[in-house]
Amino acid sequence: MNLPLQEQETPVPQWEEELAKVGFVRRLLRARKWYGADWWFVAISSVMVLGFIVVALFPQWFAPYGPHEQVGPRFLAPGDQPDLPLLIVRADSGFTSLEDLATGPDSEVSRPPIAVVRGAPTAGSLREQAALIDDELQDADTGMRLRPNIQRFDTVEEVLQSVQDGESFAAVMSSVQFEEVADQFPDLEAPTDISGGVASAGDFTLGTNQIGQDVLSRLIWGTRIALIIGFSSSLVALFLGVPLGLVAGYAGGKVDRIMTVFMDSLYAFPGLILAIAITAVLGPSVLNVIIAIAVLYIPTYYRIVRGQTLSVKQEVYVEAARSIGAKAGTILRRYIYPNVIPSVSIIFSVNIADAIITGAGLSFLGLGLPPSTADWGIDIARGQEFIQNAWWLVTFPGLAIMLVVLAFTMLGEGLTEILNPKLRDR
Amino acid sequence: MPETRVGHAAGTAPAEEPTPLVEVRGVKKHFPLQTGFLASLFNRGETPAVRAVDGVDFEIRRGEVFGLAGESGSGKSTVGRLVLNLLEPTEGTVLFDGMDLSKLSEDEMRRLRSRMQIIFQDPLASLNPRMTIGEAIAHPLEIHEPELSEGQRRRRVLEMLEAVGMNPPTSYADKYPHQISGGQRQRIVIARALVTRPELIVADEPIAMADVSVRSALLDLMMRLKEEFDLTYLFITHDLATAKYVCDRIAIMYLGRIVEVGPLKSVYGAPAHPYTQALLDAVPVPDPRHRRTQPMPRGEIPSPIDPPSGCRFHPRCPIAQMGLCDVEDPQLMEVPESDNHLAACLLRAGPRAFREQTPPV
Amino acid sequence: MANPDILYSIRNLTVEYQTRHGVVKGVDDVSLDIRRGEILGLVGESGSGKSTLGKAMMRLRNGSARITAGELWFDGQDLMKLSERQMRDLRGSRLGMVFQDPMTSLNPVQRIVEHLTETMLTHEPEWTEEEARERAENLVERLGIRRERVKDYPHQMSGGMRQRVMIALALALNCDLVIADEPTTSLDVIVEAKFLDLLKELRDEFNLTILLITHNIGVVAEVADRVAVMYAAKLAEIGNVNDVFEKPLHPYTEGLLKSVPNIELDSGALYKMQGSPPDLSSPPSGCRFHPRCPYMMEEVCPVYEPPFERPEGASEDCRVACWLHHPHPQKVAIGA
Repeated sequence: MNLPLQEQETPVPQWEEELAKVGFVRRLLRARKWYGADWWFVAISSVMVLGFIVVALFPQWFAPYGPHEQVGPRFLAPGDQPDLPLLIVRADSGFTSLEDLATGPDSEVSRPPIAVVRGAPTAGSLREQAALIDDELQDADTGMRLRPNIQRFDTVEEVLQSVQDGESFAAVMSSVQFEEVADQFPDLEAPTDISGGVASAGDFTLGTNQIGQDVLSRLIWGTRIALIIGFSSSLVALFLGVPLGLVAGYAGGKVDRIMTVFMDSLYAFPGLILAIAITAVLGPSVLNVIIAIAVLYIPTYYRIVRGQTLSVKQEVYVEAARSIGAKAGTILRRYIYPNVIPSVSIIFSVNIADAIITGAGLSFLGLGLPPSTADWGIDIARGQEFIQNAWWLVTFPGLAIMLVVLAFTMLGEGLTEILNPKLRDR
Repeated sequence: MPETRVGHAAGTAPAEEPTPLVEVRGVKKHFPLQTGFLASLFNRGETPAVRAVDGVDFEIRRGEVFGLAGESGSGKSTVGRLVLNLLEPTEGTVLFDGMDLSKLSEDEMRRLRSRMQIIFQDPLASLNPRMTIGEAIAHPLEIHEPELSEGQRRRRVLEMLEAVGMNPPTSYADKYPHQISGGQRQRIVIARALVTRPELIVADEPIAMADVSVRSALLDLMMRLKEEFDLTYLFITHDLATAKYVCDRIAIMYLGRIVEVGPLKSVYGAPAHPYTQALLDAVPVPDPRHRRTQPMPRGEIPSPIDPPSGCRFHPRCPIAQMGLCDVEDPQLMEVPESDNHLAACLLRAGPRAFREQTPPV
Repeated sequence: MANPDILYSIRNLTVEYQTRHGVVKGVDDVSLDIRRGEILGLVGESGSGKSTLGKAMMRLRNGSARITAGELWFDGQDLMKLSERQMRDLRGSRLGMVFQDPMTSLNPVQRIVEHLTETMLTHEPEWTEEEARERAENLVERLGIRRERVKDYPHQMSGGMRQRVMIALALALNCDLVIADEPTTSLDVIVEAKFLDLLKELRDEFNLTILLITHNIGVVAEVADRVAVMYAAKLAEIGNVNDVFEKPLHPYTEGLLKSVPNIELDSGALYKMQGSPPDLSSPPSGCRFHPRCPYMMEEVCPVYEPPFERPEGASEDCRVACWLHHPHPQKVAIGA
């Protein structure tokens, strides 16, 4: 049979020989010359991926707060000073904290009048904080009580005026409001805030959410769950899909047909809906999400590995292996598997990205993960109703998802370019 | 080159002859056409098949180089695989050293493979890209001589590399196939085939992919190894010019049949079958003073799904007689004034040819 | 350029391509004239640059290959000065190309007749579709394909037929020069022989000029008038086909001819050439063939590049790049 001659037969490219002589790290660096843009693609994305992995392993090194701590005021915009409820008193009153306003049986007034702006959330903070102190006082059994008599005024000025006049012993007001008018009331001062004394201003780089949790911290802790879901579900899918694909592709016939029909129907089912169905049946937990997503991606591996196996099976070197009397198992292990696996490693990376998106989608829909988990999907879902006032609640988790997905996809695509022997040597 | 022994080439050998290494008897291989599901619903008759090999008889004697030549689609490569039982014949039997291959168990067949090997056309494709050269050559040993120690195996591999002219062997053992040149790769394939000391080598177009300047070195190597390892070759080729340098006997295939078989000198010197004649004429001769003047057969090779009736070559044959050649299917018959030379032509071989040669007095 | 007998003239052509291991000269300073009405065989092994040369002659982009130096003169026109658009008009209408695998240059979903008429109409817009179709059918028939087969798709035809269709395409537009790049390599011998017969007929009938690029020396001997031998991106030898085959001047040509299997029963044993073709990314110094040459002269060949000249006493058409045929190799070497 006349087959076309190979036109350019390269004996041994000199650079490959050179490459073989140097160590692994130097080889990696030198490879830059031959792979060009693809090399940079892989380099940048693998640095990103590594970064994400470190963050996921040790979130406590990076996150300023715990994922569940309610550490600040609600809805603090990124970069803003936290808007604290301040205790405002006359400078000469001698009050320095809310406790100082406590009254005993021998006090003139049993309930100290404290002024607030009508409708402001400060009244709530005051009541909560006062109740807290009151409980402590009662426990201490000193006979002292703190039961503020809340006076409501329409404007900031009226509130401050009443403190200045001595009508109210103190006022509780947001720091922002107070700073605006503080100049007009030189006699007043704000010795402290009544937020419970946790947050110092300026630490909420990405703002806070609706219950006063730090968005950045939740983002960082959320990396862990995203990568756990991405890696484990892809790994599970890989460990099931690859052997199934190998066996089906090599065996052929009925086994292949039945398995392929099954996998194709799984594949044809809309992915997210399938995952929703599985999590709905299994109930919410991280493990169940992993299982649901893994099931979703088994056909991806199955199809690729089966296709590759079918084509590798036709290769002359497999026939050569049969002609030297190798058994089916040996052929699969030593001739087919090593030639199939490179394409699997490429889709693995892209697959992780996919799984992360699906995981986020599931938790966005409120399925799968327990609602308190620090997870990007959950954060987006929870921030969604405030999207008009608090854009940062959905934007940053969204960006995080995008970055992780981009990193893994870029890594996968870059590796495709480099590992694909057909594209090599252009 | 050893002179071919006397005997009836295609038929059974006389009793005093040692059994031939390979005997192929009435072998057919039909590949059913892939028909779609719908087509199979409507077409209830016999499923059409490609008759790649359609009744082939020959034998390969120990120590000879038996050539099998023909154009693409003639079925010569399929015959090579049938001889090694890499394909199972649809009909007929293949005997290796007197054993019927179709009667062997899978395990017996696997063990027998150490005695018969194949060299493929494309050396790069026939080497696993993820195995080093050393591993590739060692693998047949792992299968057939598992009792060898790691060191013994390595020694055998290096010996083999040296035997095929890869010097120094140690510098090649750890390379991958893509790191060496095409000619060297074919040497590696040869080394892998020979490492279990087989008796039969099926060489399927072993030099077709190599460059002109490398070809003769490869042929030379194969012939040297034949002497050294006491081999028998089935040399499959489309290149009749190359076959001339290596084959003791040659069979010409056309559309799944052997049309002519005999000692090379006899077939090339006095081809009996018109197809053989055309094939030999068509080979370009590297000498501009001897340009071909003979016309070529008309038309193209018919489809092996539905071969012509009678003699398969009759629609293209310049000497075909209508009423005879398109009706009667010729068998391989003796060619007049020849020794061991058979042809499947009603006019040039067999009783009719003998009658014409020696008209009744 | 003054010589009207010369249809295509290549002057000092260099083609470079970028690979991951640096710049490689696929064609290195090659000069070649193709005469009107001749069949010029260009032989070489794989990687010798013969295909690169053929594509460069059409100014076809071939991967990263770039013409970095030299001139291409076709029928008095300087091709290097033409715009890409003008070049496109020229390709197909006056310069035809036939490739090793015609399947790649035929549209798999287009019938042969459609392909032919469409190509004709793009180059000759004044023809009517009926005219073009009629012409296409006549041509295909002339090339030995039954008229009704023109309605076939490429995959329904055999390799030989597809090659004929490619030739028909070149003839349909009255090409002056057909560059055939390994046209018979994927064909069986009988089909190859018929195709070569056809080439000879067409040359006589249409006064076609053919550059036949091939690795098959037998094919060249069968049809070519002149033969050029390429080795490692350079021309080693050119000459009349009878002269070259009878008395090859370059040791490479000699080795090549002796290592070609010959079907004639009385031909001698095959010659074994040493070594293998060089890696073009780092070609040998001096004469590129010197590491494989049996006649290598120690002080000259590995150091100095031989000029491509007519040796004394050789015929008019002959050129060779070998110090053996230089009158005073030592002197030249010392002088250089």
